[in-house]
Amino acid sequence: MEISFTREVDQLRQGAGTTFHGEGILAITKALLQSGVAYVGGYQGAPVSHLLDVMVQAEDYMAELGVHVEACSNEASAAAMLGASIHYPLRGAVTWKSVVGTNVAADALSNLASPGVVGGALIIVGEDYGEGASVIQERTHAFAMKSSLLLLDPRPQLPAMVRMVEHGFALSEVSNTPAILQLRIRACHVRGSFECKDNVSPAISRKALMESPARFDYERLSHPPSTFRHEKLKFEQRLPAARRYILEHGLNEVFGGRHEDIGIIVQGGLHNALVRALQQFTVADAFGAAEIPMLVLNVTYPLVPEQIADFCRGKRVVLVVEEGQPEFIEQEIATALRRMEIDTALHGKDLLPMAGEYNVEVIAEGLVKFLARHAAAVPLDAARDWLAANAARRQAVVAQLELPLPPRPPQFCVGCPERPVFSAIKQAQANVGPVHYAADIGCHSFATFEPFGFGHTILGYGMSLASRAGVSPMLGRRAMAVMGDGGFWHNGLLTGVESALFNQDDAVLLIMKNGYTSATGTQEIISTPDDEIKAAAENRQQSLVDRNHTIEDTLKGIGVGWLRTVPSYEVETMRRTLEEAFTTDYAGLKVIIAEGECQLERQRRTKPWIAGLLKAGKRVVKVRYGVDADTCSGDHSCIRLSGCPTLTLKDSGDPLKVDPVATVIDCCVGCGLCGENAHAATLCPSFYRVEVVKNPGLAERLLAGLRRGVIGMLAR
Amino acid sequence: MSSQPITILIAALGGEGGGVLAEWLVELALRAGHPAQATSIPGVAQRTGATTYYVEIHPQTHAELGGRAPVMSLSPVPGCLDLMVASELLEAVRAIQNGHVSPERTRLVCSTHRTLTTFEKLAPGDGRYDSTRLLEVARRYSRECAAFDVDATAREAGTVPSAVLFGAIAASGVLPFDPAAFEEIIRDSGRGVEASLKGFALAFERCRAAGGVHAAVAVPRSGVPGTQSAPAPALCVPSGTPDLVSLGHARVVEFQDAAYGELFTQRVERLRAVARRFGVDGDAGLVSEGGRYLALWMAFDDVIRVADLKSRAARFARVAEEAGARPGDLLRIADHLKPGLVELAGLLPPALANRLLDWESSRRDAKRWRRRDGATPLAMPLKLRADSILGFLALRLLGALRPLRRIGRRYAEEQELIEHWLVCIEAAPSLEVALELALCARMVKGYGATNERAKENFRSIINSLKSSDPADIRRAREAALAEESGTALDAALTQAGAPPRAVKAVPVRWVKRTGTAT
Repeated sequence: MEISFTREVDQLRQGAGTTFHGEGILAITKALLQSGVAYVGGYQGAPVSHLLDVMVQAEDYMAELGVHVEACSNEASAAAMLGASIHYPLRGAVTWKSVVGTNVAADALSNLASPGVVGGALIIVGEDYGEGASVIQERTHAFAMKSSLLLLDPRPQLPAMVRMVEHGFALSEVSNTPAILQLRIRACHVRGSFECKDNVSPAISRKALMESPARFDYERLSHPPSTFRHEKLKFEQRLPAARRYILEHGLNEVFGGRHEDIGIIVQGGLHNALVRALQQFTVADAFGAAEIPMLVLNVTYPLVPEQIADFCRGKRVVLVVEEGQPEFIEQEIATALRRMEIDTALHGKDLLPMAGEYNVEVIAEGLVKFLARHAAAVPLDAARDWLAANAARRQAVVAQLELPLPPRPPQFCVGCPERPVFSAIKQAQANVGPVHYAADIGCHSFATFEPFGFGHTILGYGMSLASRAGVSPMLGRRAMAVMGDGGFWHNGLLTGVESALFNQDDAVLLIMKNGYTSATGTQEIISTPDDEIKAAAENRQQSLVDRNHTIEDTLKGIGVGWLRTVPSYEVETMRRTLEEAFTTDYAGLKVIIAEGECQLERQRRTKPWIAGLLKAGKRVVKVRYGVDADTCSGDHSCIRLSGCPTLTLKDSGDPLKVDPVATVIDCCVGCGLCGENAHAATLCPSFYRVEVVKNPGLAERLLAGLRRGVIGMLAR
Repeated sequence: MSSQPITILIAALGGEGGGVLAEWLVELALRAGHPAQATSIPGVAQRTGATTYYVEIHPQTHAELGGRAPVMSLSPVPGCLDLMVASELLEAVRAIQNGHVSPERTRLVCSTHRTLTTFEKLAPGDGRYDSTRLLEVARRYSRECAAFDVDATAREAGTVPSAVLFGAIAASGVLPFDPAAFEEIIRDSGRGVEASLKGFALAFERCRAAGGVHAAVAVPRSGVPGTQSAPAPALCVPSGTPDLVSLGHARVVEFQDAAYGELFTQRVERLRAVARRFGVDGDAGLVSEGGRYLALWMAFDDVIRVADLKSRAARFARVAEEAGARPGDLLRIADHLKPGLVELAGLLPPALANRLLDWESSRRDAKRWRRRDGATPLAMPLKLRADSILGFLALRLLGALRPLRRIGRRYAEEQELIEHWLVCIEAAPSLEVALELALCARMVKGYGATNERAKENFRSIINSLKSSDPADIRRAREAALAEESGTALDAALTQAGAPPRAVKAVPVRWVKRTGTAT
């Protein structure tokens, strides 16, 4: 990874008496070190990538502390890593994006939760839910319940988040139960402050090794008959121990208010939004003091029935503010109240929406219904007027706009080596007819958006090839699966390639070999070109992924008989190769590797290099593309094959031509796709490639002078 | 003093430095001793998608609060913003549409420039959203709107949009901090400080100059052109528009010669006669708009035309400027050309050309039987160095073939279709129909296959709707200009009662399967 986290690494070193200022996820990382964590693992994914990225770069400091950091190959391997805490008093933390990562990790998690842990085990999950989320909308909560894992959902303020990390380890140890700390997207990215403590070097560590392995103990194996006892232990000993700790240490917070006959029970992560919603009713101030009592659940599983009962006793009614579906917490509270014969009325998902993010407006709408029914003393006018004004304004704006605003989804970066592959796929399908297209997770899923609109299914990370196994035998045409190298190593090699080979499937697999897991922040993988290769490359601008053959060697080794590697910018070759794969008589698995290094990484490497050359007065060639406006007919076929942000439109500048013409704007990195498409699709003659030579040599200056002279005489 | 936080929402595109801007604002507040918080949902939106950053700053300092810590919201609350900042016009309006901006409370600082969405760029016609309307909404639904070109300001200063927006935020006066404090943050950021400060200062000035445009002084709604199509021409020419007929005449003469210009004039006269037949003496839109498209069509883009345009002295200067070349830099220009047999045939007399094309077609059929991969038409991909003497001479020579154009197949083909178009206009049952048919010529553009498809669409409309309702013709034309696949056009044609178009042959290759019975 070319991006540097030097500043963040320095922040991790902060000691007691200093104040940390920064992002939530970095605060969590610091809290792990303050808690004496011994090993850290995980798999990258927004919004928690930062945790692992910073730790990997903090290699030297981690060695100083004796902490081991592992970039795992997927979430299952990260979850399995927590197995270290089953026998040994080691505090371990792993991280991933949820719910998808938790799905992948589920097998190991079940087998971890059953024997339980002696060293604190903490799983930091980025709950990718609501606005800005990129995955299916499900709750991690279900996993906590089914495997009896602790689920922490702290108030989204840095001091509260840090406190819950520290308590999380202790809670995990006291209850022998792994804990999940759930952070919503905005909580990961929130910038705030907390007062630091000193980091703690773990007692057992890479610096202080254990002498021998633990003695054999059948009870620590998730294997029958131990598993039967484990299940009982969970409910007889572990969860009760956790509940005691939660109560004793005040992990859940009760805030009083003058309307004592009603109350609100809220997930910790939603506390800030709830306070802001109450402010719309003028029943809360800027500091969180509210007139309605609140029970804030910083631990959402397990609940503590006595605490729920204490809060509800004497109240006519409580409202549960719980995001996502189904309403696990509300059901658990209802059961607890019913069992204890407490007749406080309960509301939740009957007044608040079942699905979707609970932002301030959504919560306020639910509060209007709740308070109107149960709290005559609370004035509703201000909130109602505000909500009505919002709705009216939205409607008026839509009416005035007449046409809907075009969406702006993310797209391939300028110069992305994957874009040309999709141009080629579009052209190949035009020539040999459409194919079934199994899509995958990664940057290449942006091909589902315009101008490509590709993909029949997305079944998970690395699952594309496996997801067409039932389609291929039923279709008279070929099915194609597209997968990134990230997905290939995460899952695709086994679930897809091995299965297809074993079953002698007739399918086409296209692997985007860009060298990194780019969509999650360009983390390195086993097929990333080595740093030595990058340092030795004479031209830092060129793609270097062809120097690493791990993917090709693996595929050959496992028995792939039809394998082609095509540089992704050779659109014409790629089109021909695809057409061949779609039509060849070879009936087995056909794999095409599209080779082109992630442009983000290349640019990060190139920019300082070019700047250095220019500063030293050395010769530099800058390439970019352009369109001759007077030969562009304004049909925009080039854009329909590319979608590059720098290939856009401008007024024609010709009073006769009404339609805008294509133009290439400044950020063009000269990737060459415009020219390749112009040739491969026989588009139009308007594209030109221009090389600007800075600090040219004498010979080329003389030659250029001669050319200019001759052309100047003859041009009209 | 109010104890409510000052709320700022920043709408930006991934990669514009919105994250840095939010960081700067928090730093600014912290240095002044104010509690502050920022959040964002960057995710994959970093890849040039639309995203937002939200900042809250408490108006009182930690000292004034005496240890009380405010609880801040992680997401913007609709209607409760003090300042909305947008680096791009459409994104400002998207935030307004989402209800964030309050006309009573929210000051809006936004850019006037557009970064077009992919969606807007796809249409074969003009799919751009109307900026006038966007600006009008921005002004009407904000308490105050300071709009200026953020992108141009950033480029002028040689910096990024975030520094410019920082200046605009300082100028808005929403935050209780001195401009000097803002500049201090930039100075300490350590990277590209001079350029950032310049951008900051320019933005500060421009934002102040642009501010104070209250909703009451909104842009009048009349005269807002449509977005999906060219403005429907009025039945009389508004003064001040360029004389399209003279421009067209000049274009055609430049394309070929004076005689060709004379042909243009005769054809324009035929349009004028149609207008006169329907009792309109003068232009009636038909003459100017018909003349516009007639000129563009008559000056069709063939190899000769392209070579001529690409070898002009002015072009070299333009390329150098667009590439940002500085004095002392050398330029190398490579033109991506792919002249095919069709283009070559277009220059030959029709009889000869047709024989050549027949040969090519049979060659492709034979190849299709023998081989499985696509048998592509014969064409030669070239990267022609227009700045080299040989490359330039090749272009000049090709351009000099102009006199031969008239004997060529392409010339004959275009004249035939133009004549057909004119005859349809002349036979139109009303002036409105004549005008709509004339405007259909806007569809005829592009090169190679694109041009063929455009002409096919054009023929479908002209032939099957020539005496239909003018609204039907307009709908069909707009459908053809809105999307490439032709589905919308098919629907529009069917709606207008036209017979369905012949289904086109599409290559389909079944895969030989072992053991498949069906």
